[in-house]
Amino acid sequence: MSSILVKNEARLGLKLVAPAVGIIGLLVIYPILFNVYLSFFDVQLNGSKTFVGLDNYTDLLGNPRYYHSIGVSVIYLIGTVVGTTVLGLAASILMNQEFRFRNLARGLILLPYFAPVISVVFGWQFIFDPVNGIYNHVVVDVLHLTDTRENLIGNPDSALFVVILFDIWKHFPIAYLLFLAKLQSVPKDLYEAAAIDGQNAWGRFWHVTLPELRFVIATVVLLRIIWNLNRFEDVYLLAPNVETLPIFTYYQAFAGIVDQGGAAAISVIQLLVLVGLIWLYVRKVLKW
Amino acid sequence: MMNKRTPIQSVILYALVFALVIFCVFPFLQILSTSLKHPIDWGNPSLIPRVLHLDAYKELLGLMPVKEVDVPASIQRLLDNPALSAEKKQMLLAKFSSGSDVFPFGRYMLNTFVISFVTGICSTFLASLAAYAIARLRFPAQSLMANGVLFVYMVGGVLLMVPLYQMSVNVGLASSAGGTIFSLFLIYLIQTLPVAMYMLGNYFRTIPFSLEEAAMMDGCSRVEAFWRIIMPLSKPMLFTVFIYCFVIAWNEYLFASVFLKQYQDFQTLPLALQTLFTSKNAIWDRIMAASMLTLLPVVICFMLANKHLSGGLTDGGVKG
Repeated sequence: MSSILVKNEARLGLKLVAPAVGIIGLLVIYPILFNVYLSFFDVQLNGSKTFVGLDNYTDLLGNPRYYHSIGVSVIYLIGTVVGTTVLGLAASILMNQEFRFRNLARGLILLPYFAPVISVVFGWQFIFDPVNGIYNHVVVDVLHLTDTRENLIGNPDSALFVVILFDIWKHFPIAYLLFLAKLQSVPKDLYEAAAIDGQNAWGRFWHVTLPELRFVIATVVLLRIIWNLNRFEDVYLLAPNVETLPIFTYYQAFAGIVDQGGAAAISVIQLLVLVGLIWLYVRKVLKW
Repeated sequence: MMNKRTPIQSVILYALVFALVIFCVFPFLQILSTSLKHPIDWGNPSLIPRVLHLDAYKELLGLMPVKEVDVPASIQRLLDNPALSAEKKQMLLAKFSSGSDVFPFGRYMLNTFVISFVTGICSTFLASLAAYAIARLRFPAQSLMANGVLFVYMVGGVLLMVPLYQMSVNVGLASSAGGTIFSLFLIYLIQTLPVAMYMLGNYFRTIPFSLEEAAMMDGCSRVEAFWRIIMPLSKPMLFTVFIYCFVIAWNEYLFASVFLKQYQDFQTLPLALQTLFTSKNAIWDRIMAASMLTLLPVVICFMLANKHLSGGLTDGGVKG
């Protein structure tokens, strides 16, 4: 190819990516840097700023609420990552079997993933409603496990577990899709060979399925951590009293005594953690 | 697999599938059921309403007959006074009709639809240009941009809410309703662009290059080949990506709440529903009916796009 053609192609390529990359640069890359700048200021909602140096960071590191929200986030992350991975894996193995109405079942279990958070949240709130909810009906009136109807979502400690369950329900389908795609490409003769070797179903799962899925499992786990570290809506809308890191940040920035600089400081620290995880993902997972 | 299942295995398999499907669908059934129940029926654990109660839907969709307003006798006498102008009478009446009780669902739905639709169109268009360049053309900093897109997609909105809000305040966009909506539109654009670029890029790579080559031999320019060959071939995927972006914008709550709090007329459904839920008008049947109506367009979109969506999302496994 002549050099003019190469140049023309390069020029066209740049022209085509320019709008998208320009918008992303202006509204993602620049705000990330601006955020670092803001974290050194006392920032008001109306935009006025006063330089405070490292005060936002020292305040934050001396704030017990910050550590509490880190703790809540860690429990949330462990619960949701383990839950979505295990359920997604189980679902994918199940849906990889032949049975009638398989396509219908495959479609139905994707519903939670695509449904708007805002509308399903109310369904969940109703299920756990202390007066009308089916949960209390089953636990108190049918199974007689306790005598008192409890407001699981009203109490932050139990609400955390409802929120974890909700996240598993809502997001296991994406894990399931990733696993299923991989499962379908596992050669059948691997299973046949294992069967000839005398492996039962469990042995075939352990010696064939798991090793084949190793990389996908790593991908799912890492992606779930990255996504759930930033998860806001699913938690806030279902139970605003569960203070994971993003919700703590939101309260700092937009509710009560507004401390946007402090919120910026939290975001900077969180971003550093996130960049580490993304780096790990790009390096270790995408290269595979 | 290779061996036939025993009857017991079949029973277990179907039981497990049934359990999983119920787990996934139950909250939806609960929403549907509660939206159709009369308030006296809420405590009833059965999902089937004793009587079908459609009032909540009628109210939200504006099909309810306008209630006769209770006007105190003294005011009624004033209203009957022919000397009073029609305009004044209206004002008086308006004071007594319970205007705050009406939830303008249609309005919120329209707001949400417009911003989601525009976001979907713009995002799909811009992403298709960029994705084509990244998938097919050679230019400087190409792989940097391709990887950058992935990186950007993983930086969640929560980390950007303070700087983006401050930027729109500094530029002066946050002080007017129009500017606020424009800011929100731009934010939805960046929330959807990376994933749209990624999905389309993967798809364009699957189209054989020989097709464009043949078109260019026939005298098409590169741009024409893209426009006449690649774009028509990618219609199903373009549609899927549009739906995906549409749904992201349709569901978005965080930035809507930050930007639109004081512009009640322009709120989107997620924000309005949350406000409704925490207000004194919170009644289960109405909330559930509103949820159902918010859900419906998404479920329809999902059914339309299902075929390609699952594949598009998992090829390379980006979205989590």
